[in-house]
Amino acid sequence: MKRKIILLFFIAACAGLLSRNIGFNNHQVLALSIFLMSILGTLFFWSFRLAFVFLGSSVLLLTGTINFESLIKSASLDVILFLMGMMVAMGLLKDAGLFAWIVSLMLRIKNLTANKFLIVICFISALLSAVTSEVVSIIFVVAAILEICDYFEVDPVPFIIISVLATNIGSAATVLGNPIGILIATKAGLTFEDFILKAFPLSALCLISIIFLVKVWYHKTLIQLGEKIKEFGANEMLIKLISIPIEKQLKIALWIFGSTLFFIAMHHRFELLLNLEDNTILLTMPLFSAGCILLWKWRKAREFIEKDVEWWTLLFFMLLFAQAGALSFTGATDVVAASFARAAGHNQSGLIVLIISASALGSSILDNVVLVTAFIPVIKSLKGVGFNLQPFWWALLFGGCFGGNITLVGSTANIVALGILEKERNIKLSFFRWFWIGLTVGIISVVLAAFALIFLPLYHA
Amino acid sequence: MKIKEIMVRDIKSLSGRESVKDALNLILKFKISGLPVIDKGKLIGVFTEKDVLRAILPSYVNQVGGFVYGDTPKNIKNKLIKLAELKVSDVMAKGVEVVGEETALLEAARLMLVKNMRRIIVVDKNDKVLGIAARCDILRALMDLAK
Repeated sequence: MKRKIILLFFIAACAGLLSRNIGFNNHQVLALSIFLMSILGTLFFWSFRLAFVFLGSSVLLLTGTINFESLIKSASLDVILFLMGMMVAMGLLKDAGLFAWIVSLMLRIKNLTANKFLIVICFISALLSAVTSEVVSIIFVVAAILEICDYFEVDPVPFIIISVLATNIGSAATVLGNPIGILIATKAGLTFEDFILKAFPLSALCLISIIFLVKVWYHKTLIQLGEKIKEFGANEMLIKLISIPIEKQLKIALWIFGSTLFFIAMHHRFELLLNLEDNTILLTMPLFSAGCILLWKWRKAREFIEKDVEWWTLLFFMLLFAQAGALSFTGATDVVAASFARAAGHNQSGLIVLIISASALGSSILDNVVLVTAFIPVIKSLKGVGFNLQPFWWALLFGGCFGGNITLVGSTANIVALGILEKERNIKLSFFRWFWIGLTVGIISVVLAAFALIFLPLYHA
Repeated sequence: MKIKEIMVRDIKSLSGRESVKDALNLILKFKISGLPVIDKGKLIGVFTEKDVLRAILPSYVNQVGGFVYGDTPKNIKNKLIKLAELKVSDVMAKGVEVVGEETALLEAARLMLVKNMRRIIVVDKNDKVLGIAARCDILRALMDLAK
């Protein structure tokens, strides 16, 4: 603990001194050091991350590095309200039994074979994470995998790894898949349609490539599962294992969620039609749905707000965004952006590779929201150096999502899935059992994305 | 009125090294919902029926949301068999709320209500267990006060 604290202060101080030497003023040095401390705080002291951003933001305000008005403006309340609304909607879907229903659907796969199981878990993991967020979807996909693997008495680890890899890839496909999606969308002015046109196909391509890879990588496990399926016969017990209590409630919840998804997917069209500011409907729909849910379930309204909204995470995001705002406010990001441009030789393709690699590597050890928050003001500043920012935003999205596959702590989905595995089966995965497959998947998906971003004009428009 | 006036001094307890299966048999035999776990005279936790249920059912059961079990999954059967291998210290609740023997009866009642406790353990300054009071003991004493 002591060592970590010393290391944290040492790195922050070194960064401060270094930045002073390359021409940062006092406020820029302070903004950079405090932001770095918040990032390192999440890495070394996860449980204390909120305390770090509270203290850091207070210091920024007290030293006049940022004023209240800019701090509130930088806190991205639009993103926070969007995430809050989605959390309430997810709470309702959970309460109504949607997730358990999906688990039951997976348990009832007809004429189950090993290959069918592999393909189903890949597509369900990716699709669900794309529409409900990676953290929500991984819990019930893992629950279904554990039940199925227990029934057929096979090792669940490879299938859980596969589902997490697919979840992280799917999380890049839409604005809803990962908090960095909405964060990038709001900062870059991207719409849901942009994601469907540009992020979804690339995620699908990566997913298909990964299915072929894991089919070879876990060849023996799949053969073993195939043999067990033949031995045990049909999954009769799994079919009647769980059911959903109130179907009418589930139907209404599905209707609300479906409508929310429809308006989010069509937000750009409606905004044009109603002459509204960009992303107004995208950011408002989850809030509107949450309002409807709180009206419909008024007896449980307080429970949805208190238990299903992760206030701890949202407050952390808010203040972290504000600290990144301080970097921009003091002009520190302009200096960093200029250094980035120099490092890439003022070359657009070079910068794409630099951003996607740095964000993938960074998100393999850091929370991707932290990383993307740090990158956003830098990318914005690159506009001043004369670059087309479009491919950079996508590089940041793909790097941030796909990089999460590289290590077992790379994304929240990894941590949640491995936590369940440890609690339920007492299996503690070694770093390298994850790393080799994670790294291979990470490299393949990042290289595919980099090629697309460099060579396809679609990503430059 | 103080808690020491109503607490049960002759308490049954468990050791952290006992198997969960034996401990469960004990609480079922005495028809009580839980027992304090004592090591070298000091309280180290409380073992309750709820802790056993938590150990048997999947940890994600709350997160998956509303559903109804129609059968018993294989894994639950395995977990039930493995209960004999688990020690009481593996499943017991740690960091239990305790009170001193001079604690007022109403304060003990308040703690039970606020912390959702079914029993409260009374310890001395060295964490040595002196007694235990269940909700019914407290309610009985409160009813007596009204007479």
